[in-house]
Amino acid sequence: MSYTELTVWTRGIIMDKEGRDIVNSVSASARREGKHAQAMENYVDNPDRTNAPTRKYCRISDEVLENELTYENEHPNIVVLVEGTMVKGWDYMRGMPPGGTLIINTHYSPEYMLRFVPGPERLAQLVCVDAAHLAHHKWLYYRLGELGLDRLSTEGAAERSKLIAPDIAAPLIAAVVKSTGIVKMETILPMIANKNAFEMALSEMKIMQFNPVAV
Amino acid sequence: MPTATAAKKKTVRINGCVASAQAAKYADVDVIAAYPIRPYTATMMALAQMVANGELDAEYIVADSEHSQLSIAHGASSSGARVFTGSSGVGVQFAYELYSPISGSRMPVQMMIADRTLDPPGDFGSEHTDALSTRDMGWLMGWACDAQEAFDNHLIAYRIGEDKRVLLPQMVCQDGFFVSHITTDVELPDSGQVREFLPPYKHPYPLDPRHPVSHGPQIMPEQGPPLQLERARAMEDSMAVIEEVHKEFGEIFGRHYDPWLEEYKTDDAEVVFFLQGGHGVTARFAIQHMREKGLKVGMVRLRTIRPYPTDRVCEVLSKFKVVGVIETNMALGSPASGGALYADACAALYEAPERPLVISFMAGMGGEAIVLKEFYWMTEKMIQAQKRGKIEKRTHWVGFEE
Repeated sequence: MSYTELTVWTRGIIMDKEGRDIVNSVSASARREGKHAQAMENYVDNPDRTNAPTRKYCRISDEVLENELTYENEHPNIVVLVEGTMVKGWDYMRGMPPGGTLIINTHYSPEYMLRFVPGPERLAQLVCVDAAHLAHHKWLYYRLGELGLDRLSTEGAAERSKLIAPDIAAPLIAAVVKSTGIVKMETILPMIANKNAFEMALSEMKIMQFNPVAV
Repeated sequence: MPTATAAKKKTVRINGCVASAQAAKYADVDVIAAYPIRPYTATMMALAQMVANGELDAEYIVADSEHSQLSIAHGASSSGARVFTGSSGVGVQFAYELYSPISGSRMPVQMMIADRTLDPPGDFGSEHTDALSTRDMGWLMGWACDAQEAFDNHLIAYRIGEDKRVLLPQMVCQDGFFVSHITTDVELPDSGQVREFLPPYKHPYPLDPRHPVSHGPQIMPEQGPPLQLERARAMEDSMAVIEEVHKEFGEIFGRHYDPWLEEYKTDDAEVVFFLQGGHGVTARFAIQHMREKGLKVGMVRLRTIRPYPTDRVCEVLSKFKVVGVIETNMALGSPASGGALYADACAALYEAPERPLVISFMAGMGGEAIVLKEFYWMTEKMIQAQKRGKIEKRTHWVGFEE
């Protein structure tokens, strides 16, 4: 039986939708491929607060999900940090089984970022993708204070909410799919609004491979 | 046989909160009285969006508290409107004064409950204590175990509550998180089917200046007994209507619910779980696994707790050797010194010629998920009691004992 947990760490309000888009699109793609999958937010994170760390979960299995009603992903195989500075400060690697994948939105290299990762020996690969740059949102996503102010307004929210991955979620989803093969590229790509950023990420992402461990 | 309009059905992926909002939309409610409290908030948000988008033509009133919220619901219902409201946890409690007047004036207000623990612990998880503490206030009450059932229960409850033989308010309950925030496939019916099942509501005696009537006037003590008897009779009489409406719902929509109890793998079961709500989903998986090991375990899930199906519970539960009541509610100092479901189940079983052993399990408190191994542990306790021929003790706190 194949069972995979994907946990996305993001920042409340300002990057909430970006995190949600990742788990929702991966989960929907898995279901289209005939698997059992669910996506949800970390229940106790809501209502989220600006900049506060929040989690989004996805579970994919060949068989019916018997743990559908449990609150958290206890053993995430794949972890995504939607905002690069989240690499420090808490243990997002908690519970990760050997052979895991960590994906960080950052312009730094995996070699540089590795030093901040708690328990890196569990990783099979560390992936860095400069999502803000690829999605042409460089100035906004690099300055969290300004992003917070921008998202105080509801201007543009209705338009953003209609699309899946119109901005930095697109390259992050590309990194998840390319590095792990969790779903097929052709299943997920049609859902993604920012196809340009998605496709650029496929060639631009930096993957640092370790000794893969059989899961 | 598919109906002519069946093609217009569609399946969407939504959680319990949105399913409830969708049900209110399909029921074409006239007035929505809202006040935010998690997890119910997601329902009022979804409804606000529907009203703003012009999908639903309803008065959307945001109250300044739950007490006002239910007062608005009461007043709106008196004017003859179909009313939808909802709350969670301590919000349900803050409106407490209104529950008896609403049922006393026979207003079929509908209230969605997404359970949340009371304080303490006041966390966001689900305990049924919020709604159960109002269970004797004259409201029809029952729990769904998934979003589809929640959707269906809303339509069914309106139809029962608005029936002229009943005219009672309804609490349509679902677990916070386990139902309210778990996204599943939900089949939304064709709106023509809903109109067939649930025609527009017409209160027999609405407040109307052209035809003056009094609602809820001050009365003298001697007028009390007949008034209370009428309300008690309405609750009793609702039982026949509940059965009738569920049958009709099955015929129109193709989903056939037993109005009172879901029995899961009970044919040859010797020990059963007796519970209500979302934990029934995990219980089914646990039972499948234990059956593979040859254990004769099953589940009886209570779907309607008010009116309480006393005869049916007696008939069904008396077939087994041991009944393990999974409470997910607090009834401090109650007969089992645990939860409230035990007392009702035992009262129902009292007249049975052969009674099973009954154990109360305090599980899922604070809204913790009841996981497979806890179901295994509880089954083991029931099997031990069966072998011994008596219970070890009335109430077990799951997770605190060996």
